[in-house]
Amino acid sequence: MFYDDIELGTRLITLMAAAMLVVQFLMVGQRLLPTAIRLFSLQSLFLACLAGTVAYVNQARHVYIAAALTLLLKVIVMPLFLNRILERATEKAEVESHLNTPASILICGGLTLVGYMVAHPFIKPHERGHSTLAVATALFLMGFFLMMNRRKAISQVLGLLTAENGLFLAAISLTYGMPLIVELGIFFDVLIAVMIFGILVYRISEIFDSMDTNKFRRLRG
Amino acid sequence: MNSEAIVVFSFRVCLSAYLAGFASSIVFVRRERVANFFGFSCAGIGGLAGCAASLCALAYGATPTLAVWPFKMPLFTFTIHLDALACFFILVISLLTIAISIYSQGYVTQYYGIKNVSVLAAFFNLLVFCNTLVFCADNAAFFLITWEMMALVAYLLVSFEHEESRTRQAGFLFFAMSHIGTGCLILGFLLLFRATGNFDFLAFHFIGASLSPMERNAAFLLFLIGFGVKAGIIPLHIWLPEAHPVAPSNVSALMSGVLIKSGVYGLVRVLWDFMGTPPVWWGITILLVGSVSALLGVLYALVEHNLKRLLAFHSIENIGIILMGLGASLMFSSFHHPVLAALALMAGLYHTINHACFKALLFLGAGAVLRATKTKSMEELGGLIKKMPWTAFFFLLGSVAISGLPPLNGFVSEWLTYQALLQGFSTTERLVRLIFPIAGALLALTGALAAACFVKAVGISFLAMPRSPEAESAEEAPSSMLLGMLVLALACVMLGLFPSTFLPLLDPICQGLLGQAISARVIGGNGWMLTALGLEQGSISTLGMVSLFLALLPLPWVSWLLFSRKAPHSIGETWDCGLDRLTPQMEYTATAYSKPLRMIFRALYRPRRQVEADFEVSRYFTKSIRFETHIEPTFEKLIYEPLHRAILRVSQRLRWIQAGSLNTYLLYIFITLLLLLLWEKIR
Repeated sequence: MFYDDIELGTRLITLMAAAMLVVQFLMVGQRLLPTAIRLFSLQSLFLACLAGTVAYVNQARHVYIAAALTLLLKVIVMPLFLNRILERATEKAEVESHLNTPASILICGGLTLVGYMVAHPFIKPHERGHSTLAVATALFLMGFFLMMNRRKAISQVLGLLTAENGLFLAAISLTYGMPLIVELGIFFDVLIAVMIFGILVYRISEIFDSMDTNKFRRLRG
Repeated sequence: MNSEAIVVFSFRVCLSAYLAGFASSIVFVRRERVANFFGFSCAGIGGLAGCAASLCALAYGATPTLAVWPFKMPLFTFTIHLDALACFFILVISLLTIAISIYSQGYVTQYYGIKNVSVLAAFFNLLVFCNTLVFCADNAAFFLITWEMMALVAYLLVSFEHEESRTRQAGFLFFAMSHIGTGCLILGFLLLFRATGNFDFLAFHFIGASLSPMERNAAFLLFLIGFGVKAGIIPLHIWLPEAHPVAPSNVSALMSGVLIKSGVYGLVRVLWDFMGTPPVWWGITILLVGSVSALLGVLYALVEHNLKRLLAFHSIENIGIILMGLGASLMFSSFHHPVLAALALMAGLYHTINHACFKALLFLGAGAVLRATKTKSMEELGGLIKKMPWTAFFFLLGSVAISGLPPLNGFVSEWLTYQALLQGFSTTERLVRLIFPIAGALLALTGALAAACFVKAVGISFLAMPRSPEAESAEEAPSSMLLGMLVLALACVMLGLFPSTFLPLLDPICQGLLGQAISARVIGGNGWMLTALGLEQGSISTLGMVSLFLALLPLPWVSWLLFSRKAPHSIGETWDCGLDRLTPQMEYTATAYSKPLRMIFRALYRPRRQVEADFEVSRYFTKSIRFETHIEPTFEKLIYEPLHRAILRVSQRLRWIQAGSLNTYLLYIFITLLLLLLWEKIR
């Protein structure tokens, strides 16, 4: 039967993890902010589906809650919130980065390799975990890289959120769900972080007339 | 109900009362009078319950363990273990909390409308709460958390009157020093953790034997610095004379009485409970540090004319005396003399509770003076004994106790320390035995100088004529403040007169740490006498002295009645050198009083003086004279200023790292992360 086919579940999970990685690459190459936000939403959708699959395959009820929360917060609420901030800010909606796109993509390829390298000792082919841990590590590193490479505060927030997606992926693929209380804590944490970021971004754009965090240099005493 | 259940119950009541005091003060944050009443009443109730719990535990030997946090976390367990050592320190803090919370009811009324009293009451409760937890935390992580909370709350209380820049600076200094100490403590506990893989204090018990000598010595030094900062040993003392005077007096009393004792607690906990038999040099180090702190503390106090700063320097002195007892005890342990070690430890611990009582009493007295006159400078006081007789009496009593004069409590514990030190000479053949008589001599010198200092403090502040209009118009403190002082004064008298009742309470501690319960050998003559482990070693009886004094008291009166009642006598004014009347300008000043000592110890003080005079017509008719004298702060100049400059220089060099760009900072983190990941991979 379909529903007790563990092999199929495993393949589905790997497939969705791969899709998340692809979306991440698209995001690195993306130059328009609204599209980047939509890409984040898409990546989170994959994550939610992955969590749902994990829950279904392993009969882990509480992971459904995590999946639902991902769907609600990361696919719907946070993108809406980020879009609103974008509308309020007067800046043009283009990503500015320190490195150009081809260089960024190349570096991110390297980071994916690092992810596979680091995750290798943990992966045993016959065990669950597959290569999702490697993907998760790569997602995290790339999210970090995005934060570093972007000039604007809002795209840095996006970087943080994708890095967090990577963490969540690692947690869910390795342990098939952490205790619910921990997951709720993480969600709450991220939500608050985004709220605060949102307010900060708004203030930054008001005071500096731009969202470029490089202008923070002026704050130095 | 067995004794253990009673202890647990009353201890829970104690902690809940402090929390209730905190909560009610926060709830009534806009209604100061209500918050004052509820906050400090709860603290008092908590203190009573704490006293009951700790006394019961010490008397019946109950040592319960209780969990305060139901959730389990890896490595951290939030459990409380009320062993004898913890209970002793909880007894100290609870006793002081009772007295200070009664006192505070009246004391804080001066802040109504100026400062928010509710905040003061709330943080006061929180400080007592955290400090109580420090004494009984049973896990290194839990201990450090409460330790940090205690420092943080104490910082908030020190900077309560933050409108003055001096207060802010003092608070910051306290905060910074406190963090240096905590840093050392964290490193020390991590060293111990390496050996056990567990943060529980139970696992640390006698861990010293399984550490390498290097690790042991490193841990000793780290803990000595970490706890020494809080205890205020010289040269880590610089925050103490700054922070104590600027805090509200009830807070200074608590800080000087208990907060600095948490350093003593930590040292005893770590060195005795964790380390086992120590190398000789540990004891020597602590004895030396103690002697130096005692002597320098009192010397600096002598030339200090700010009443509260003077008391703060005396705290350094008394911590020194406590450490002399502890150091001697460590040395006896390394010479395998457990009985003498127990005697010295007992002396040190008894001085801990004694110092807490009389120092808190003195700070409360100073607070009453400050409240009545609004000045801390002794040169502007005087004549207060007529305006505030009860405060003067309590202050005098505290002064007698702190000077180590019989029959009060300071005498008893200092006498025990002497006995331990003097007997130390015969414990070993090695040359280090010379340190015992030298330390004894230093202790004697310290005691004499302390007495001289308090002659100055009491004489200049309370006797003679008022030197300022503020002192002239001073009024006696309200009865709640006097009641608070009375509690501590009674404690001083009781601890002095009946040591045979209280010393057995220390037995469980010595039994647990050194395997020797010696109070039976110290108490002789059916509880009337104290002997140093045997009648031939010297013995003393404070109760006997008092009885003798009371018995002899009628003698002069009777002889006056018999022989000289009929003799001619007349009553007149104090002799005034033939001038028409005495004025405050003619009085002996505190500066003048300490002049001889300033000259004798010139090498230490390096005094600078400056005299400016305006003359009329000729040199013989002065219009005005300005006299200024300064003492050089040796430790600040020799240790802290160079350190400060060096840190600033290095930071200037490293400034380019702080580029101010968010992306750069992220890059730092990212590179560190990558390197760590790859390093783990390659290894």
